[in-house]
Amino acid sequence: MKKGFKFYIALWGAKFGTVLLKLFRRNATFFPGKFALKICPDFIGKVGKPKTIIAVTGTNGKTTVCNMIEDILKDNNYVFIDNKYGSNIDAGITTTLISGVSFMGKSKKDLAVLEVDERSAPKVYPYLTPTYLVCTNLFRDSLIRNAHTEFISGILTKYIPKETTLILNGDDLITSNIAPENKRVYFGIDKLDTDMDKCENLSRDIIACPKCNTKLVYDYVRYNHIGKAHCPKCDFKSPEVDYLVTNLNLKNMKLTLKNGSLEEEYDLISDNIINIYNIVTVITVLKQIGLSKEQINASLKKQKIVDTRYSEEVVDGVKVITHLAKGMNPIACSRVFDYVRKYKGNKVVILLLDDLHEAARGSENTAWQYDTDYEFLNDDSIKQIILAGVRYLDGYVRLQMAGIDKNKIYYQRDEISALDNIKLDEIETVFILHDLYSMELKDAAKKKIEVMIRNKEEKESRDSSQENRE
Amino acid sequence: MKIEILFPEFCNLYGDMFNMKYLKKCIPDAEFIETALEEEPAFVKENVNLIYLGPMTEKTQEKVISKLLPYKTRIIELIDKNVVFLFTGNALEVLGNYIENEDGTKIDGLGIFDVYAKRDMFHRHNSFLIGKYEDIEIIGFKSQFTMLYGNNTDMTFVEVEKGIGINKESKLEGIKKNNFIGTYLIGPLLILNPLFTKKILEMLGLNNEVALKEDTMAAYEARIKELRKLG
Repeated sequence: MKKGFKFYIALWGAKFGTVLLKLFRRNATFFPGKFALKICPDFIGKVGKPKTIIAVTGTNGKTTVCNMIEDILKDNNYVFIDNKYGSNIDAGITTTLISGVSFMGKSKKDLAVLEVDERSAPKVYPYLTPTYLVCTNLFRDSLIRNAHTEFISGILTKYIPKETTLILNGDDLITSNIAPENKRVYFGIDKLDTDMDKCENLSRDIIACPKCNTKLVYDYVRYNHIGKAHCPKCDFKSPEVDYLVTNLNLKNMKLTLKNGSLEEEYDLISDNIINIYNIVTVITVLKQIGLSKEQINASLKKQKIVDTRYSEEVVDGVKVITHLAKGMNPIACSRVFDYVRKYKGNKVVILLLDDLHEAARGSENTAWQYDTDYEFLNDDSIKQIILAGVRYLDGYVRLQMAGIDKNKIYYQRDEISALDNIKLDEIETVFILHDLYSMELKDAAKKKIEVMIRNKEEKESRDSSQENRE
Repeated sequence: MKIEILFPEFCNLYGDMFNMKYLKKCIPDAEFIETALEEEPAFVKENVNLIYLGPMTEKTQEKVISKLLPYKTRIIELIDKNVVFLFTGNALEVLGNYIENEDGTKIDGLGIFDVYAKRDMFHRHNSFLIGKYEDIEIIGFKSQFTMLYGNNTDMTFVEVEKGIGINKESKLEGIKKNNFIGTYLIGPLLILNPLFTKKILEMLGLNNEVALKEDTMAAYEARIKELRKLG
């Protein structure tokens, strides 16, 4: 593509802007790209790009997958550009590409790892051909942005370049059918003991065959529409998987991955099925670009799921776990609820799930709560639910619709003072589930809970010494 | 009491299925029939008291139109006989004259109501609504790719106070004809609007109280106040 005057103005302006923003210690991960696209709308097509581009998209897990790919590549001395600290829409991707080119717009790096928002497909892929495009999964997401999976899979199919090799979740019947003409590699996890015959989730985005409308037969269901299925009437079915986890050993935290006749063992850094999928995705991508098992596994062992998404601390014998449960994303929340209910021991769950970003606009569309499996919180091991935030009244109704006993729920508007009502007796774990926009709130809640646990422990210890003296 | 949910394996977006779960809580002894797209709807041969159709994808709209087209006369007959219908989200569009794509191509609807929809797949409309239905206030969410055009003056569901009607220029939301109610409002409409649910129960000839009355009313009243504050 011929560059032209506008391109250079856009490039130089963006580069100059980046320097200025950095001088003023501002985040230079979005506006330089936005500026460049404003001046030169087809800038992404004109700017020099690395030879190999790994793009990662999908409803859930794309940030974690990108972070892990980047960390492992870095650990193996690969040099690349990425949008780790920037946005995953066209402006952020443009900013990243600008960071990797010379003053004349020529690429200085051979590799790029780009997280790409699904809805940005029409603005990105006409100008940028990923060598590999990873799609982690496709679920119903924020309904106000993404509508439904048919819309998202439709735009991906329409805009993904034909030359791109797809790396797809073979256990997801929606993802596995995007861009059917493209070369593809599937990853997946073989049947697990925990898989079910029937789906227990509220939302399933593919219940009936998209070809002949007959209800699909699931050989097994893992969660939502993840699993293995076939149509009893036509040839529609889950694909054969290229990188298949044949054994998951959660006791020793190992997984066995089969590719053709080769079976390799990798370390697991999480026992959460979502993160196991993320790990398998990462291994598949890195194997595709030529890293060895040894290179991948040595670095994988050093990885940690980022603290902003999950943290665990033991305070005087009580575990305090914070877990991101993205509001307005029913599947992400449901997965976390499922994790919580299956976590051993008695627990208290604190829900800080209001989307403060939406609330700031005046209100929040809470329809997503009714696609989310709040029913999973209706579990004997969950002794108390503290519900707080702007939408506490809506949440209270939703929890009751899930059949949760009113007496188990404490609800009020103010998030921090609501914690005063927590009952810690015989509680082994306190879960703080929070939205992406509630990080400060989460930290404040965690701090308060920790103090409360310590105070309780000290009080019990004082009472006990008093009793002994008496 | 028989309530038929049409094609729940396809028409189940945006948590709207909880309208029926809530109704089940309000009418515990009602029979709920879930009819798959492959099956003949119960309303064709049986007397049902309420027919529900939830929001669906654009491809599904075409499937539903094909499915319901042979039963057009029966649907008109049931509307005339005051059977309660609740169609939410874009379900209403299947009963209009046609749905127009961005490129001008048209998908014929059942033509029961003299309205048509226009799609704009790259501009999703999101808004809140507060308005008047009979003597009560209705609140709700809109999230859609389409707008509806045509004259619904004599068959308005909600007179809009804040938000939009069937399209951005309209302040008249949805269609209400006899006991047929079609609305673009999505999500847990009945849970959000306990007073409206009470009206539905009355249409069904029931005197039941709504489920979780006190708590749904508290959430409803808080949301009304909040929406009134919006500019």
